[in-house]
Amino acid sequence: MIALFAGSLLSVTLGVALVQSSLLLLITAATLDTPPGLGAAERMEFSDNVTAAVSMLGLILGMATFLAGFIISSTFAFTVAQRRRDFALLRLVGAGRGQVRLRLLREAVLLGGLGAALGVPTGLLVMAAQAALMRHQGFVPPGFEGEWRPWILAVSFGTGIALALAGAMVAAHRAARVRPLEALRDTGTAARVMTATRWTAGLIFFGGALALVIVAPVGGPGGGAAMAMNVPLPAAIAAAALSPLVVPLLGRLLPTGSGVIGALARANLWDARRRSASVAAPLIVLVALVIGTAAAGASITDAGITELRRQTQADLVVTATGPVGPAITAVPGVASASTELSIPATVVTDDESSSASALVIDPAAYARAHSLSQPASALPARADSAGPAAGSPAARSDSVSPAASGGLAVRADSAGLAALRGRAVAVGPGGEIPSSGSIRLALPDLDLGSVPVVASVPATISGGANLLLPAGLVPERLLAAAPAQSFVTLEPGASADTVRAALGRIGTVTDADDWLRADAAARSEVNNKIMVAVMGLGALYALIGVVNSIVIGAAARRREFAAARVGGLTRGQVLRAALLESSAVTAAGILLGCLAAAGALIAAARTTSAVTGTATVTLPWTLIGAVCAVALLVTGATSLITSWSATRPAPITLLAARE
Amino acid sequence: MTRADAAVTLRAISRVFGRGNAAVRAVDNVTLEFPRRAWTAVMGPSGSGKSTLLHCAAGLENVDSGQVLLGDTDLTAARDRELTALRRTRIGFVFQSFNLIGSMTAAQNVALPLRLAGQRPSTALVRDTLAAVGLADRARHRPRALSGGQQQRVAIARAMVTAPDVLFADEPTGALDSSAAAVVLDLLRVMASGGQSIVMVTHDPLAAARADAVVFLRDGRVVDRLAGADAREIANRLASLT
Repeated sequence: MIALFAGSLLSVTLGVALVQSSLLLLITAATLDTPPGLGAAERMEFSDNVTAAVSMLGLILGMATFLAGFIISSTFAFTVAQRRRDFALLRLVGAGRGQVRLRLLREAVLLGGLGAALGVPTGLLVMAAQAALMRHQGFVPPGFEGEWRPWILAVSFGTGIALALAGAMVAAHRAARVRPLEALRDTGTAARVMTATRWTAGLIFFGGALALVIVAPVGGPGGGAAMAMNVPLPAAIAAAALSPLVVPLLGRLLPTGSGVIGALARANLWDARRRSASVAAPLIVLVALVIGTAAAGASITDAGITELRRQTQADLVVTATGPVGPAITAVPGVASASTELSIPATVVTDDESSSASALVIDPAAYARAHSLSQPASALPARADSAGPAAGSPAARSDSVSPAASGGLAVRADSAGLAALRGRAVAVGPGGEIPSSGSIRLALPDLDLGSVPVVASVPATISGGANLLLPAGLVPERLLAAAPAQSFVTLEPGASADTVRAALGRIGTVTDADDWLRADAAARSEVNNKIMVAVMGLGALYALIGVVNSIVIGAAARRREFAAARVGGLTRGQVLRAALLESSAVTAAGILLGCLAAAGALIAAARTTSAVTGTATVTLPWTLIGAVCAVALLVTGATSLITSWSATRPAPITLLAARE
Repeated sequence: MTRADAAVTLRAISRVFGRGNAAVRAVDNVTLEFPRRAWTAVMGPSGSGKSTLLHCAAGLENVDSGQVLLGDTDLTAARDRELTALRRTRIGFVFQSFNLIGSMTAAQNVALPLRLAGQRPSTALVRDTLAAVGLADRARHRPRALSGGQQQRVAIARAMVTAPDVLFADEPTGALDSSAAAVVLDLLRVMASGGQSIVMVTHDPLAAARADAVVFLRDGRVVDRLAGADAREIANRLASLT
């Protein structure tokens, strides 16, 4: 009984803490004031970073709310199922259905309120941890701290009570329908686990996941990636709802040995479908979210890396500051160079102001350096012109996949980019700007007013600048301080070392190959950091949910264990059977979670295929291995500890006591 | 026997479990009256349908055909809400596994049916009810701190606190040692002599011998009825059924 209430309380407390912390951090970031003493460009950059932090915190808040709702409702449903006999007993002595329902809902309000009371201070600790994590990963400025808001008290108590009530609602309805006669039976007719609610929820969320998988490729680079990353949420709910069908079946398939212990574990798995499903549910969500999101993220990142490698046509990359283009082109041996200066900007469309990144480019050189003016027929010719750089990865990847390259050529828009002069602007590979009409554009310190959008380059999955600007549009003083990146192609026969030495006087020179490698590493690292920030605490919460379910399940098993021991099993054998059973449930949960994660991977593959022409699937094996190991270890240890403590009293004392 | 003398009337009731070849007629067309202000025992070999008969008579189990009357109230036509109200006021239950609520004290368990009915039972009423079963000094104990016999007496107090028309008892001494069983049977005897209608299922001839009459069941049908028989007679009759 105590384990049941403590378990429900813990799920509410941590859920409220996580939601409160994410919400306070989001509000703090959204209302962050620009620090004084920053230049105009720095101010714009700061606001750009804040926008990124806010959208990430929005994700974190969404994830926290989803997890809290899921874990709380599944924990509540399980505790109510475990107390079925108590409710039947109440019905037997004259409790009406309404009274049972009311009692459970009152309990939910109490647990929700109590959970919130504990969750508010816990949330402050969680917030400190979350803020530290985000500072450490550089998503927020140093010194960023979540700020307390008095109104959060109302929100947290509201969240706690609302989530607890919502979680108890369905369970209370079921409990109220329990027949008084069930109090007289030990096993009861509670065996029906696949209720209509479960079927409905399972099928609806499966449909939702399927819809996301189908629509993702149409969503473009940004939308498709977001949809792919969201597939695990409905897929996990569907898998969890339908798990009572699958978990016992998988349990039968799992090699649990042929001895008596294996037989007992298999029988328990089949018999206690409700308990198995309750342990598996948070596990499915944990595995689906962590592996699904990480795999989809990694696939999309890798697709971006491959795409960049394929599109970048350069031998050297020079990193410098200011308008260094003419100086670089003037170096003997340089065939062409696309020098791109990045400048923060603010774009107003339909009265909506948003920060954007702009690149000041030379249209012709840009098109050359980024495969935009590469007609399919020019492929062989480029192989000679590449000269000493013929072995560069960019050239190589193009020549091995002419079909993909041809696909790019079709979408290239060099003619459009040629129109990029005067006051005209173009939509960059980062997109998010309307590709026709005009926009209001402001640069740091300078309102350019309305400018026409005359062209757009194809959006890339790796993103990039939202806007491409001609050099004439941006005043010298802004260009002088702008970070510049030049993609340099050497003349055939030019000495790379000599050119490199000359360029070294202008900026830092890197082999295009090395530059791409470093860029890929940086992208992967950013992706990993985002995953940790978004998933880290949520995953921990889900893991605690798993432990919670095992503890709640074991609390009711003392008699069952005692009966097994009276039947001739030693305490060690009972423990081994419990461990085997929990490992089988864990394995089944991992399998179902992976199935839900596979949905995300399919969506990612379809999206990358639609955007880049090649389906990219990256499986983060280290993470998958780690998640499986942690899940097996934690569930195994928990079930050993709980069954060890449940078998401590002499079995006969437990069998004799009937209340 | 006139209608007014029957605490519970069973009219041609049947209850079938399972379907097709696996169907078991647990109660097969039983017509029976349990008299008012008397203690009737129901006996029979295992699987004779005696527990199902009790559950049907108490409105815990639906009948497939026939009619169950509690006094003049038709239980077969009653909805869940009415049955709930009856359990609070006119029906009391005692079972082999005492079925007390483990987290509540003896006094709280006893007060529960009245509280569920929306009343505030006086401490005096609860104390007197517990005193009637000889547990006045155990009011604050939780079930796990009581012996089996004491727990069963709390269960009887809980069933009696609403002054029910009929007390249904399913193997009330089945889980008790002989001395605890004797205390419980003495208690039931006192209640029956005081005018309480009791219907009790048992397989113990010693328990059945304390009742006013014994009804014998086999394969879901009433096969015999004895009144004022002693334990040896009842045991012989029961043995002849198997």
